[in-house]
Amino acid sequence: MLAIVLLPLWGCASAPPPRPTARPFDDVRRISIVVAGESSLSVVEHKAEPGRTFDEIMAWYPTKVWMRPLAKLVHQGINWALGFDQTVTIARSVDGISPRTVVAAAMARRLRASGWFEEIRTLEREQSIEDRRRDDAVVRVMVPTWGLVRVRDGDPDLLAGFADVRAHMAQPGTGIVVWEGSEDVTSPEQFPVGAFMKDPDFARQEMVDVLERAGQRLASELMYARRAGR
Amino acid sequence: MIPRRLLVSIVLAGLALNGCGTTSTTLDVRYPEQGANSALLASAAPRRVQISPVVDRRIEPARVGSRPRGGGDLVTSRPVVEIVQDALSIEVSKNGHAVVSDRPDVVLKTVVEAFWLDAVDGYSSLQYVGKVVIALTVADGRTGETLLTRRYVGIKRREVDKPDERQWREVLDTALARTVHDLATDPDLVATLARVPTAVRHSIT
Repeated sequence: MLAIVLLPLWGCASAPPPRPTARPFDDVRRISIVVAGESSLSVVEHKAEPGRTFDEIMAWYPTKVWMRPLAKLVHQGINWALGFDQTVTIARSVDGISPRTVVAAAMARRLRASGWFEEIRTLEREQSIEDRRRDDAVVRVMVPTWGLVRVRDGDPDLLAGFADVRAHMAQPGTGIVVWEGSEDVTSPEQFPVGAFMKDPDFARQEMVDVLERAGQRLASELMYARRAGR
Repeated sequence: MIPRRLLVSIVLAGLALNGCGTTSTTLDVRYPEQGANSALLASAAPRRVQISPVVDRRIEPARVGSRPRGGGDLVTSRPVVEIVQDALSIEVSKNGHAVVSDRPDVVLKTVVEAFWLDAVDGYSSLQYVGKVVIALTVADGRTGETLLTRRYVGIKRREVDKPDERQWREVLDTALARTVHDLATDPDLVATLARVPTAVRHSIT
């Protein structure tokens, strides 16, 4: 009898927690998109070697436990050194590009095309309190990391442009955040690392494309959440 | 007493079946209805929308990826075309349009080009990359004329410490959701739907 009483209760307890009710913001008509934060460019390859080989060697010395963290450090150091030259080469290709500005501009274009907003401004720095009063909301856009990432194992491995972006929209008076989004954006196109290293114009275009894609993604998710809960 | 030859056959058959059973992992990938919102697609006046059976043009239709380090195939519990068809139906309905099988204002023809999970093997971590690509054609429901063709690409990337079935599903779920969200917020798609005349006043529930 006790089991019969407890079973439905147990079922309730194990059910997933209810999703928080999103606050719709379809009354927001004038927004400013402000770029914020620092951006770091990198080539992320997540290589298994030489760490795997070190592990195989370690297997012959099970008593030398202290060597394991050392092997991990050496693995990281070697890969950092290998990736450093690639990052420097890519950095030269994208010289002069401000990732946050490209993302913010693409986001603004996509939002304008929706016809949902009366005014969308993109700003390179925080505006004055007076200026803020013009807007219904301020969107802050950040691009903490961007660059190239290995997306497929093979011979050769394939890499794609990536941009990890964040944005949040707040009411200018109260500072209440009405929407926030975080997107890992990856280019659908994949190439061997040599393609990016040998052709700076190609590398530059790929990186701009992925940043624009990131801006469009943020805009899509912002628009998708606009009437959430209605 | 079982003859030796029969015994060997039974053992071999058992090993083969056991091998088949362990080589594929089934993922329950789906588009979550409770997460669907009324979005830009609702800006167009309600339309009668027919969603033609989704066509599968993936390079490897039998699977959606493989487990890391040669661990076997990843497959979905339902056919991929059914997953995409359901996702489109949910999104179109959620945006105030009626999904119909006759007298449509517009017909959506969808082709799945990719539905795939890649695992990139690192030293102490794995990176998953889920990718969903669908090509959409919007046709006039009365004349059959093509009004719009679009391609939507949803990609999700996630780094994990250990292989995990839940993570595989979530990465593909998110890639699918991003594809569908891009569709639901596409200004060109909305403008096309808005342009299509409705022959009769339909009551859309």
